[in-house]
Amino acid sequence: MIRKPTIKSWRSAEQWLLGSMALALGTVAGIWLLLDPVPMAVPHFAALVLLIASLAASLIMIGLAGRTRRQMEAMLQGRASAEARAIETLRNSEAQWKEVFEHNPVMYFMVDATGTVLSVNTFGAAQLGYSVSELLGKSVLKVFPAEEQLAAKSNVGVCLENIGQTHSWEICKVRKDGSSLWVRENAKAVRRLDNQLIVLIACEDITERKEAENALRQSEMYLAEAQRLSRTGSFGWRAGSDEIIWSEETFRIFGFDKAPSINRATVIQRIHPDDRARVLRTTGRALSEWKDFEHGYRLLMPDGSVKHVHARAHAVKDTSSGIDFVGAVSDVTARKRAEMELHEAQATLAHVTRVTALGELAASIAHEVNQPLAAVVTNAAACRRWLDRDPPDLKEARGTLESIIKDGTRAGEVIQRVRALVNKAPDQKAPLNINDVINEVISLVQHELLNHRISLQLELSPALPLAVADRVQLQQVILNLVINGIEAMQPVMDRPRELMIRTCQDEARQIMVTVKDCGVGLATENADRLFDAFFTTKSGGMGMGLSICRSIVDAHGGRLSASGNAGPGATFHFTLPLDQEGAP
Amino acid sequence: MTGRQASPSLAGAEDPIVFVIDDDSSVREALSSLFRSVGLRVEAFGSAHEFLQLKLPNVPSCLILDIRLPRVSGLDFQAELAKADIHIPVIFMTGHGDIPMTVRAMKAGAVDFLTKPFRDQDMLDAVTAAIERDRNSRDEAKVLSNLHELFATLTPRERQVMALVTTGLMNKQIAAEIGLAEITVKIHRGHIMRKMGAKSLPDLVRMAELLGIGPASGQPQT
Repeated sequence: MIRKPTIKSWRSAEQWLLGSMALALGTVAGIWLLLDPVPMAVPHFAALVLLIASLAASLIMIGLAGRTRRQMEAMLQGRASAEARAIETLRNSEAQWKEVFEHNPVMYFMVDATGTVLSVNTFGAAQLGYSVSELLGKSVLKVFPAEEQLAAKSNVGVCLENIGQTHSWEICKVRKDGSSLWVRENAKAVRRLDNQLIVLIACEDITERKEAENALRQSEMYLAEAQRLSRTGSFGWRAGSDEIIWSEETFRIFGFDKAPSINRATVIQRIHPDDRARVLRTTGRALSEWKDFEHGYRLLMPDGSVKHVHARAHAVKDTSSGIDFVGAVSDVTARKRAEMELHEAQATLAHVTRVTALGELAASIAHEVNQPLAAVVTNAAACRRWLDRDPPDLKEARGTLESIIKDGTRAGEVIQRVRALVNKAPDQKAPLNINDVINEVISLVQHELLNHRISLQLELSPALPLAVADRVQLQQVILNLVINGIEAMQPVMDRPRELMIRTCQDEARQIMVTVKDCGVGLATENADRLFDAFFTTKSGGMGMGLSICRSIVDAHGGRLSASGNAGPGATFHFTLPLDQEGAP
Repeated sequence: MTGRQASPSLAGAEDPIVFVIDDDSSVREALSSLFRSVGLRVEAFGSAHEFLQLKLPNVPSCLILDIRLPRVSGLDFQAELAKADIHIPVIFMTGHGDIPMTVRAMKAGAVDFLTKPFRDQDMLDAVTAAIERDRNSRDEAKVLSNLHELFATLTPRERQVMALVTTGLMNKQIAAEIGLAEITVKIHRGHIMRKMGAKSLPDLVRMAELLGIGPASGQPQT
């Protein structure tokens, strides 16, 4: 705009110059012709020609110069318009960039070396709840919480020390309303044309990511904590590469140092030698069948201690991670120990009640021993008398001796049976005939039945399969049920006291033992509590008998139940599973 | 179960018999052997019921009874026997002798009460004593029944006189008492002495005592 008039005036000056030159030449020629037109001497002519030639040359020159000038003019004209266009473009671009700068969802700050805000984009200010003017000229520390200000200062300091280098960091900012936001800042110190050092900062809001990260970290922490508390570790098994990925807790359970992964052989090494084959079988089968699996086994730790663990795994197909099984492994040592202690306590309790029951039967048992003993003594006396005869009656003497042997053995058997009941032997499950067990118990209570004028009906099915059970424990159950029956019939005066013991196989082919009395029966309100510990309707009862009977039957995989009879009395049944082939 | 174990010499013999009732066959057999070894006849039973099926022979005998028997106790059985007028000496055996039971048994007339296991000699002594007692009571019963038979031969007047004589009255007093002549009383008295087989007045008095003849009545009190 400024140069155009200059170019025009310059062109008119040129035209003026050419015109005045042509005029000057014409004037010179005219003067010369007027003053000396006739004597046309050669030198004069030559000078004239020269003059004309120079005039012509001037004209040509003027023409040329005009053309060049026009050309230059045109060129200058084009350049000016390109410049104008460039300026226009620049203006547009600046507006665009300004737009970008102001409204880009990135916060831009420009601060000086002291941290004073020189510039901030609208978005940046808005994100922090301020207007641009509220921040300009203020210390940038205003947007940092007290605890982050030091970090903010040092970050700026680092940039200033390394001019031109980009630095980035994550930091927490505070909004005008006091709420905080997490940002990731990229910053660089530059020297301005006026030699002032400034720091350009672009920050992006990462609050969401940070929160997600925090949530994830927290969730991971909770998970780790939960794993630690529940003593349950997790694992992933990449069968293809024989890699097992463990959680921290799993490493702790197995007593290995934390590593990214562990191979199966190392794990197997830690498994109790007695359980190794079984674990390999289970995992091998799971792998070949691609099926979920669950198993319990023991670990033999380097210090010689034994841990009980229980593992469950789920077959997955996660191609991205290559994991084939995902599972959890729990340290159940404490539970196992508690179970063992409980079992021990139950055994002790069972033993106590057994001995108590035997105490109640003392008279009966004494009788059972005394009878053969009396026979032995009498036979021995008779034997002596047969021998003292003249002549000695050896045949009779031998007969008495045979009886002595038989009766002595019988007394011994009774004592053995009692001792077995009194002894606190560990579980010894073996296949047995339930009828034998019943007969053994009957031999101990025979006299008790007699004393209470109870007639016993035995309906023992002869063709029963064997049951796997602990003989003494089953004797205890039957003994208890028989004693209960006897006691229930004690008040009965108006009808025969009958106790029936029956064995049979139920619909499920399980062995079923029934003990039926015709005593006082079950009160309906007590039926539910019958098997509860410490529940008793007897004045001298401890209330453990039926409770222990049930736990014994349960431990054998059977079921003990009671029901009232249609007539007077109650019936107790219990079932026992059969000795199945291959059963442990 | 049939617990009867007849001894070979049972048939037709007059020897005493020992009866045993015990539900335990071992004890029964042992006792049988013991008694047989000393030459006693034995019959053993598993229950009171089996014993009652037997017609008891008229020989000195005794019963050895276990105090605890199936269905009916030994003590109850003893009472049952008494009620049925079967008077047989009873020796009780028990696994554990308790005092109330012993007292009850002895009061009911048990000869002895033995606790199992017992000494053979104690048992044999008890059996011997019981059989002796049974023999005596059987003898006494025999004497008494003879006396009853003799007494039955007396006329009512003679019975009246006998009652008065045995209370110690003189003939004259008797005559006054019943309004007869003294001589008539004397004749009755002679008949009485002869019929009763009395050798002397004290003999007759003893007979009267056995017959339970009181001064108030001329009839035996049994």
